[in-house]
Amino acid sequence: MLEIKNLVKRYGKGAPVLKDLNLSVQGEQLMSIIGSSGAGKSTLLRCVNRLVEPTSGSITLNGTDFTTLGAKDLRKARRRVGMVFQSFNLVDRLSVMENVQSGRLGYISTWAALTRRYPAEDIERAFELMERVGIAQYADKRADELSGGERQRVGVVRALMQRPEILLADEPTASLDPKTSEQIMSLLRDLARELNLPVIINIHNVTEAKEYSDRIVGMRYGRIIFDDKPAALDATQMDEIYAGTPSEDRQEMGAVA
Amino acid sequence: MSTQTVWRKPPFIKSPIVRWAFYIAVAVYVIGTIATLPIDWERTAQGLTRAQRIFSGAFPPSFERSGLLISGFMESLKIAILATTLGMILSVPLAFMAARNISPKPVYFIGRGTFILARSFHPVIVAIIFVKAVGFGPLAGALTLTVYSIGFVAKLLAERIEEIDFGQVEAMRSVGAPFLSTMIYAILPQIMPRLVGLGIYQLDSNLRASAVVGIVGAGGIGATLANAFGRYDYDFALAITMVIVGAILISEAVSGMIRKRMT
Amino acid sequence: MTQTLTHEWARFTPAQRMKRYGALLAVTLVVVWALGSIDVIWEWVWDAPIQLVNLFARMVPPDPTNLPSILEATWQTINIATIATMIAVVLSLPVAYISAQNTTPNVVCLWIGRFILVSSRSVNTIIWALLFVAIFGPGIIAGIIAIMFRSIGFLGKLLGEAIEEIDPAPVEALEACGASRFKVVLYGIVPQVMPAFFAISILRWDINLRESTVLGLVGAGGIGIILQGAIDTFQWQEVSMVLLTILALVIAGEVISSALRKKLL
Repeated sequence: MLEIKNLVKRYGKGAPVLKDLNLSVQGEQLMSIIGSSGAGKSTLLRCVNRLVEPTSGSITLNGTDFTTLGAKDLRKARRRVGMVFQSFNLVDRLSVMENVQSGRLGYISTWAALTRRYPAEDIERAFELMERVGIAQYADKRADELSGGERQRVGVVRALMQRPEILLADEPTASLDPKTSEQIMSLLRDLARELNLPVIINIHNVTEAKEYSDRIVGMRYGRIIFDDKPAALDATQMDEIYAGTPSEDRQEMGAVA
Repeated sequence: MSTQTVWRKPPFIKSPIVRWAFYIAVAVYVIGTIATLPIDWERTAQGLTRAQRIFSGAFPPSFERSGLLISGFMESLKIAILATTLGMILSVPLAFMAARNISPKPVYFIGRGTFILARSFHPVIVAIIFVKAVGFGPLAGALTLTVYSIGFVAKLLAERIEEIDFGQVEAMRSVGAPFLSTMIYAILPQIMPRLVGLGIYQLDSNLRASAVVGIVGAGGIGATLANAFGRYDYDFALAITMVIVGAILISEAVSGMIRKRMT
Repeated sequence: MTQTLTHEWARFTPAQRMKRYGALLAVTLVVVWALGSIDVIWEWVWDAPIQLVNLFARMVPPDPTNLPSILEATWQTINIATIATMIAVVLSLPVAYISAQNTTPNVVCLWIGRFILVSSRSVNTIIWALLFVAIFGPGIIAGIIAIMFRSIGFLGKLLGEAIEEIDPAPVEALEACGASRFKVVLYGIVPQVMPAFFAISILRWDINLRESTVLGLVGAGGIGIILQGAIDTFQWQEVSMVLLTILALVIAGEVISSALRKKLL
């Protein structure tokens, strides 16, 4: 289970991007985070595996506090968190298999990484996962020869190769056409169930979020202002998330005025 | 620059007073410099007869001592190969150090400073220093061209690294890959084509430069040429120059072809 | 359900792997050949780092007693580079004109132009300097002519390429309205190649500044003469002073040329 407590992130001296955030995610649920650009969704996700360094607060995954880890332990801890990116972030010039195996880089030696001598069980698992998402026939193709949807599948398989305890997906469908986008969303939902894997998705498309998630979190100006089942998300709530001012900020503004 | 005297357009200085002042300053500089050139007119006047003597001595080019020519040329080739190899090996880590997006500030300045220093001195100057330090011969040449290669390759490679898609690095970080593995997977594939291209270009470039640094004693065909000149063997000197020019044209064509096929 | 057997995966097929090993082997062999047959005394190689450190130790601290004459030679170096670049720019214009495919008057001119460019470009400045020192005797004039000869090829080639890349439409329009050849060039071509012309000239000036620092080593004037003199008489502290001056000169040249580029382009 992922437990985020009092998380604050500020860049330089500006106003904080995340303001005292609390969130807990458990079990095999697919949770979507919605909110307009700049609400802090992406920063929140990147704080979890500390691709972005949090300013204060704590992030605990199944008993490990990520925020206090040193560089080496952080690296080990990151192996437990899978991440899928909006622009896929595949290594274009390497084959699909090499990209998939790069998910194991935290486990294999640098020499094995350099010479591409991957353990047999990793190759076995890679083929299983690639067959599961339907890209096994591309194993030896170069990543940049694939279509967008196929590339995102490679990205998902790479993250799953880590045998993660949680999967983070940062706008995984934003670079895809609507049909492919739905395929990826349903794939993520199915995988969450099959693998007992909590999945957190940042997403712009509210319709998709409602259709595929078990839980929706709405963010506005670095705060969580909605956290409930998809069915509870109505038009008023939507207005608040996309155009409102969070109540805490209203008080602050009032105090200033 | 004074190139303004050639084309009067466009008037890139708005104020006419400043503009004319600028033109006059340029004219004064040009005329003044040329007029005060320390030219020994008597010596210069003899130049034509001297040129005639040199050229009549140079024709026809003599390939009599082709053994010397070939061994000089092969030495240049070896110098170029070794300097390129060593230069590339040293340039890669230096380029990583000098790339702003992956290097901490102090390391970045060390890396950048190193190749700025390597670039600032003409290879001939570097060559004389090495000749004085390690003696005449190809060793000084190979060391010189290694420095020369670093100045060029490390700079361009560092610029390439600064242009990479950083998302791939982020992805490798997110899976918990160690530093070196991140470099090997996320950065090396992106810069590989440039690296190979630079290597081929640098081999070509080192071969040219080796003909020059030899003149100050750093071995290779340049040394053969300087000797021939020193002994007034102008026919042999012309033969050597022709071989150098031919080799440069061939190596330019070959390296261009390989690089075109690569991309 | 029968699961497939253990998957085999290798990055390359055996044939691909052999090819890669072959290429690696070929490169290694070439390097080993060069390393094994080069005429080097290996004791000297192992000794080289110590010798270098010793040499640099002797250079510290730089000795500024001769600074006035060093600065005078630096000024001379700047003059060689600047004057030679200016003359070369003027001379390269007709060469570029006849060696660009779209402006050359006829095939004979094209080939003459190309011959000038190739012969100028293939011979290094230092070799040109060697020749002109033999003709005119040691001194600044040999240096200027050497730099000029090398620059014509560089400027002519790049400028010719710029001319070949122009948009032919304005030229056609001018020809259609009956302008003379000279006017067509002046109004149709010159404005289009102007930015390239400035960029190339500035670039060459910067390169020439560096090249001028070494002309003196073959007797063709500039700061190289002082450097050579100091080295020959083992005045290492003066050598380091000269080297620092050259470093400052080169960096200043770079700063000036990038400032000019910004101003003009």
